[in-house]
Formats: sequence, C-alpha cells, structure tokens
Amino acid sequence: MPRLYPAFKYTVIALWACFVAGPFMWAATTSFKDANAVQGGATYLPWLQYEPTATGWRNIFGGSGGVDVLGPFLNSALVTVAASAISLVLGSLAAYGLSRFRYRAGFVKNSDIVFFFVSQRIMPPVVLVVPFFYLLQVAGLLDTVPGLVIVTVALLLPIAVWVMVDFFNGIPREIDEMAMLDGCNPLTAFTRAILPNSLPGLTVAAMFCAVFGWNDFFFAFRLTFTEIQTLPQAIVALNSSIPPWWTLSAAALFGISPLVLLAIWVERYLSKGNLSGAIR
Amino acid sequence: MARLDLADVGHSYVPDAAEERWALKPLRLTFEDARTYALVGPSGCGKSTLLGILSGLVTPSRGRVLFDGADVTDLPTKARNIAQVFQFPVIYRSMTVYDNLAFPLRCRRWDRARIDAKVRQVAEALDLGGRLRQQARRLTADDKQLISLGRGLVRDDVAALLMDEPLTTIDPQLKFTLRRKIREITEQFRPTVIYVTHDQYEAMSFAQELLVMDGGRVVQQGTPEQLFEAPSSTYVGWFIGSPPMNFLTVEHAREGLSLGGRPLAAAWDAPQVTARPQVGIRPEYVRIVTEPGANTFPARLRGVQDHGAQRVLEVDLAGQPVRAKVPREDGVPGVEEFLVHLPRTKILPYVDGRLATLP
Repeated sequence: MPRLYPAFKYTVIALWACFVAGPFMWAATTSFKDANAVQGGATYLPWLQYEPTATGWRNIFGGSGGVDVLGPFLNSALVTVAASAISLVLGSLAAYGLSRFRYRAGFVKNSDIVFFFVSQRIMPPVVLVVPFFYLLQVAGLLDTVPGLVIVTVALLLPIAVWVMVDFFNGIPREIDEMAMLDGCNPLTAFTRAILPNSLPGLTVAAMFCAVFGWNDFFFAFRLTFTEIQTLPQAIVALNSSIPPWWTLSAAALFGISPLVLLAIWVERYLSKGNLSGAIR
Repeated sequence: MARLDLADVGHSYVPDAAEERWALKPLRLTFEDARTYALVGPSGCGKSTLLGILSGLVTPSRGRVLFDGADVTDLPTKARNIAQVFQFPVIYRSMTVYDNLAFPLRCRRWDRARIDAKVRQVAEALDLGGRLRQQARRLTADDKQLISLGRGLVRDDVAALLMDEPLTTIDPQLKFTLRRKIREITEQFRPTVIYVTHDQYEAMSFAQELLVMDGGRVVQQGTPEQLFEAPSSTYVGWFIGSPPMNFLTVEHAREGLSLGGRPLAAAWDAPQVTARPQVGIRPEYVRIVTEPGANTFPARLRGVQDHGAQRVLEVDLAGQPVRAKVPREDGVPGVEEFLVHLPRTKILPYVDGRLATLP
C-alpha cells in the first residue's frame, strides 16, 4: 500500500500534465503544418507523418495572406507594462493605507473599501464598456494607447489592491513602528522599510496584472478601431471562414510566449519559503 | 539621555469610556536619567500602553509627557528620539546587518564617516563585528534581537531605550547570555532604560527599580529588595516572588494577633479596623523547627515541590495553606506533623489587601 500511493500520485500528475500540455502540443505541431497536413486525420510526428513547414510562422510576421503581429504585440506590451506599473504603484499605496490606517465614513469601513475595489471585478465587463466608451470619447482618447492604458489600469487596480492589502496585513505593524522610531515618517516608513520587504507580494501582484492586462480582448476590441490594435485583436483578425489553423496556432503560441517566459523567470520569487515568514 | 515625566497621563483605547475601564488610569511618574526600570505585571495591565505613550505610538487620552522638562505630548514618534526593542526581533529583512544598524542614522542624515564609526563601535560591543556584511534575515533569532537592540544604541542621543519583553521569543539557554549582554551594554552606554517584562526574575536581575502594574495602575515602585521585603499590597506579594508570599488570615487578640488560638507577633501591629486582618510572610522565611517557642505553630505536611537546589513544602498551618522554601540538604520532615517557626520581623500585617502602616 505505501508503494502504491506514489505510483498513483505520479500517474495522476502525469495525466494532468498531459491534459494541460496537450493543447500546447497540438498548437505547436499545427503551427508547422500547411493546409494539406491539417486535413485528413490527426498527425503528430513531423517528417514521419507530415512535412513541417514554416508557413504559419511566416504568415504572422507579414507573410502573404497573413498580417504582421509585431505592431500589435508592441501595443499590447506597452499597454500591459504601463498599466501594470501604474496599478502597482497606486495599488500598493492604496493597499498600505487600507492595511495600516482605519477609515470610517458612516457604516463604510476598511473592509468595505477593499470589497468595493474587488467588486469592480465581479461586475460583468459588458456593464463597464459603455461608460468607458463615453468617457474616452469625451476625453478624445478613443482608439489611443493612453486611453487603453487608463481603462486597463481600472481593470488591474482592484487586483493589485486586493493582493497587496493581504500581503501588507501579513507584515507586522512593528516594522512600521520600528521605522518611525528609527526616524521615518509614515511615507518613508513605507518606501524604505515596508516596500523593500514586499518583493514577493509585489511579484504576485505584478504577475496577476500582467496576465490580466495581456489577455484583455474585450475592452481593446470595443474601445479601439483602426489606429491601435492589440495582440489578441490581431490574432482574432487572422481568422476567416476557412480557419488557417497553422497561422492561428503560430500566433497563439507567439501570443502566450511573453507570459510563459515571465512565469518561468518569476517562479523563483514565488517559492513558498519566500512568501511564508517573509518578514520575521 | 533624558529624564522622562508623565504628568497625569492616562489612556483609553475606547473613546468616552469610564475612567475605571481605561487601559491606563491617570498617573504621575518620573523616570530618572540613566537609570534602568522594569515594568512588570500580568498581560493587559497597561505596560505596553505606557511604553506606547512614551514612544509616541500612542497619544494619551489625557495628561502631558515631558522629556527633560519639554512637552513632547504632541510630537510624533520620529521627533521624540526614542529607541525601542520589540517582543520579537524586528529587522529590515532586505538589508545587511550593517545597513540595519546604520538605518536610524541615515534617517537622521548623519555623514557617512560618522555613521561608519558608530555602527562599528556598536557592532563590536554586540559581537556582531564579523557579520556586518551578512544579510540580516539569515541570522538566528537572538542575533536578530541583538540587531534590534543595536539599532537603539547607535543613536547616542536617544531620550530612552524602551524594551518590550525583548527576551520572550529567545531560547531559554540563550536568554541568560542575551540578558547579560543587554546588561553589559546598558552599563557601557548608560541610557535611560525602561524594560517591560512579565518575568519577575528578568526584572529583578536587570533593573535598578521595579514598577509593578495591575489593572492600568502602578501599584508599587521600588528596588527589587523593597518589593521582596515589603510588598505594599497582597497583590505585589503574590506577583513578586516564587512561590508567592504566604498570606494568613489572623484575628486580633488581647495583645497583638492570634493564629489558630495561639499568639502571633508580627513586625508591627495591624490597626484594629477589621476583625480579620492578614499577615504575609515570604516562603523563604518560614522555618521548620523541632523546639516549641514564640511564633511557632504545629503544621501538617500536604505536599512537596522540587525546585532543584530548594524544595517547597506545602503545609497546613491552623487550617490555612502555607508554603516554605527550604534548602534541599535540610530534607523533608520524616513525620507528618511538625513545628513551623515564623520569624517575627518578617511577618507583615495587611489590612484590606494593603500593607498596614506603622502605628
């Protein structure tokens, strides 16, 4: 029985890994196929079962019949990085305030304010798109990168606040008190004593922001038209009545690559030891 | 270093609470320059509130706080120049030992050379000299606590060094070493020290003066000897000393007091304001004797506790429990009934829980 358990455990893990990795494998093989190879049953082994070609990959970088996704890629990167950075700065400041000071306005308390932030994400995005459209139009920011950055900040800020409030609550108040005894005011206590200790929390928040910002299709789709296009829009635009699966696969793999690299790089900051007992 | 005065200072965490329920009842206190004080008392007695008021982390509901005569009640923590060591080691994890020690000085914008000299001096005194370049978070808990202490000592102009149960989280074996180190350091740097603890040994071995607190009040202030020899109330007698002071209910007799029908002579007579006053005697002074005499009573053995070099005998004296602390080599009486002598000068009369005044 004790030997059976590891066998069972690793079987389950292996099955789950196949389930998760399957679509990526499928996309990876398909991206090297052409119209002929895609039709006529599933094939997986290059050279043996089909002749690999780079048509799909050429198509997404300006090849004939495709589009250049590099421009949309840069737009997406710009919007995601800018919005994440703004959200992290504003979010951690807000979170620090909500974690350390007590606010009261009638029956509204700190926990209500935090919930208010989070509730922005509970709302269906469709509810927000018309007001966003109207506001951006009034400000003349429709179809511009700054407009999209503002909207994305509105989407990411709740996540940053939520993650950071939780993290700051885990940092003992004594650290702040200590910093003030050592000669800091509340702001320098935050920037010099608390923030440098918050790298794991900031990493988690940044990761969430990057994922949500990068994956946003709906708002970019509704709030931009001709001038600006983000990567998810560009990928969707590749589709046609006869789906070019090879091009779509290549575009999808290219689209997720920054997040995969980011996850691999960030993973070491997220190890358990780094998060638990982060302070003492 | 400074002399700290609390003038009519009290605090309530709940606004508009009745004064009886304040965490710290209004009090008047003076901490003299370059002396070490220990605040002792059970959890929730107001010790930490008092520290918070001194450091400025708590603004008192009432009263003024004076440092060397200057009113600092409304000054923020930063401006008070107080150093504090917390219950568990508080260090800046992202910094090296050196940067941790230098942080308070950098906050005060000292120049680099002066910071360097001071940090090295303090690190040397704390035996951290060889580890200045290490990441502070990689140190053991007691070394981290030394850093906390060091950060308080680098500023040679601090008004006072407050320690809030600094040895609570330290391993018992290391406690002794660290306590001695803290003592050495405070003798070397001579700050005004206020040391909070619930451990009376720590308090007695560390401080020149003790303040016993209960229910938001200072119930007695004095040297360790005064608190041991003459507790001002049954509470202090019970709180200071291990095992606590014995308290026996006695009766007024025609001359003096009586216990179980036999005359009992105390250090001085209790005023006849209650029918049943109490007398207190430390277990250290209760003696097992063989010869009958004055202040000698028959007793019955109830139990024995082993305290290492000493034994605590629990005896029944005229129907009341009394504890006697006797050296181990004296042995336990072989018979169940024996005689116990209470030396007259060590028997203190208490009325309504307070030490009776000399007539």
